[in-house]
Amino acid sequence: MKAKAEGASVDWIAWAKSLILFGMGIYLALLILTGKLDNYINQRFAWLAYVGAAIFVLLALVNLYGSLRSPARDHDHHHDHDHDHHHDHHNDHHHYHIGWDILLIAAFPLLLALLIPSRALGVEAVNGGVSLSPVGVAVEGAFRRDPLDRNILDWLREFDRAATPAAFNGVPVDVIGFVYREPRFPAGGFMLSRFTLSCCVADAFPIGMPVIAEEADAIEAGAWLRLRGKIEASEFDGAFLPVVYPSAIDLVGEPEQPYLYP
Amino acid sequence: MRGDLPLEARGLFSKPFKTLGIALALVCGLAALVYQALGAGLDYALVLSVFATRFLGIFIEAVPFLLLGSLTSGLIEVFVKSEDILRFLPRNRLGATLGGAFLGLVFPVCECGVVPVARRLFSKGTPVSMGIAFLLAAPFMNPIVFASTFIAFGFGPVLIGRFIITVIVAVTVGLVIGSLAQPQAVLKPLALRRDDETHHHHHESTPSARARLFNSLQIASDEFFEMGRFLILGSALAALMQTLVAQDSLLALGTGSVLSVLFMQALAYILSVCSTVDSFLALAFVNTFTTGAIISFLSFGPMVDIKSTLMFTGVFRRRIVLYLVLLPFVMNLLAGSLINLALGH
Repeated sequence: MKAKAEGASVDWIAWAKSLILFGMGIYLALLILTGKLDNYINQRFAWLAYVGAAIFVLLALVNLYGSLRSPARDHDHHHDHDHDHHHDHHNDHHHYHIGWDILLIAAFPLLLALLIPSRALGVEAVNGGVSLSPVGVAVEGAFRRDPLDRNILDWLREFDRAATPAAFNGVPVDVIGFVYREPRFPAGGFMLSRFTLSCCVADAFPIGMPVIAEEADAIEAGAWLRLRGKIEASEFDGAFLPVVYPSAIDLVGEPEQPYLYP
Repeated sequence: MRGDLPLEARGLFSKPFKTLGIALALVCGLAALVYQALGAGLDYALVLSVFATRFLGIFIEAVPFLLLGSLTSGLIEVFVKSEDILRFLPRNRLGATLGGAFLGLVFPVCECGVVPVARRLFSKGTPVSMGIAFLLAAPFMNPIVFASTFIAFGFGPVLIGRFIITVIVAVTVGLVIGSLAQPQAVLKPLALRRDDETHHHHHESTPSARARLFNSLQIASDEFFEMGRFLILGSALAALMQTLVAQDSLLALGTGSVLSVLFMQALAYILSVCSTVDSFLALAFVNTFTTGAIISFLSFGPMVDIKSTLMFTGVFRRRIVLYLVLLPFVMNLLAGSLINLALGH
């Protein structure tokens, strides 16, 4: 009844709802189109974003249509013909009372996406060190991969099942990752690291291979490198580990696929 | 669906101070983030960017499930009459209670939608034990929740543990409350009242199928906003913790076989995140917390949290609400701790 009295005024909340729903749909679509989606979730689940975008647009259209049809949506317009006291109880169970506070919270992800440039997790996101243990269970075929085709995760799996760190002495490597350093690492020592992603960045986990290269000391942490060289078991951070000794160090940009998927 | 509750519960639930309070906490968190970043000499923009990536990652992965849940909820609200399903359930107490625990499979509601449906079932004369088993289990007994748990954790201890613990706790609490107290002592008069106002349903069915579909989509979008705020605030808090709190300092908390479970259950209670998406929040704690704590977070959270407690007060008497919070809390704590002992954490 109250809404009736305000019938002439515009229902801004209804319009804001449509706008946010559209915004979310367009945001997801843009993430898919620009490939930025890979900064956030495992490629395997990209189809979820398609589903999300489609539903957002559908709901936005429904809301928009609702606003256009009855500019100030009367919350009990279904029951206009019959106003006994039961209906006060009955009809509002179809509608939450969405206020500006809720809309503001709903707009928060969009504001964040709009104001802060999209970036994959990098060295700044390492919290508590880079792990030497492989993540997840390897499929059998992964172990037959040519050494030069192995990524950091493949290597850690190889290390994990080898009898001795010396088993890889002299084996060639060709890997890409970012530089992570800790003060206790030996001179020229760093970890060439990647984040692994099982589901989404919530479970992102940094892993890395130890590297020793005196000439790399000038390269700042976080830089993406392609290393080619050989493995030699050595002392690193208090343990005897397979360590990469690069013969070629190339600065490369962040790869299109920043994460590794276990 | 909240409108099905008496006014007092709704008033409590929708008071602006609650949302405002949470929003304020979020602002404080962000302020702390900035402070921490400046204090540690970190680049403020970089830390904010890490926070944004973590937050949006959880949100993007989770939001399709929230949308699917909202759509289902809208469709059920408009097209399904809860009482029809009751006829297919067993009559004896144990059978009915078990049936109640699995009723969610044909009635996929999350914890936000479950209370009004349970109320409707009670008003149709559903036994207390069955109604409570449904109330506690339904938010997880839902194909959408199975799917999101599977995507986050795969088929393994988390999914299986979540399933088994949910059934055991829901059935046990249902049987305990159902056999110790008379319905009059459990339910508020309003929920107990036989709902004979069938004329509602008659004129509900008059609109065309298209109008009802349209209506269900409008309900779905309102549901998205209503539930979305909990997802957004929960994701923000999880992302803040991951970005701000040093992993080492969480380790003592996260590795205690009982303490970790206690902490995660308290967190589940406070966050009040919808059961369709809580798996993705749990992922944020996988690297630091015990498996038992993760499973308890996922089995306890959908049963009881801040928002469902408020909704319970509209259906159950005060003392029963207390039991409905404490019994699942203790049982999940026990289950999570036992899992940790078995896994040797």
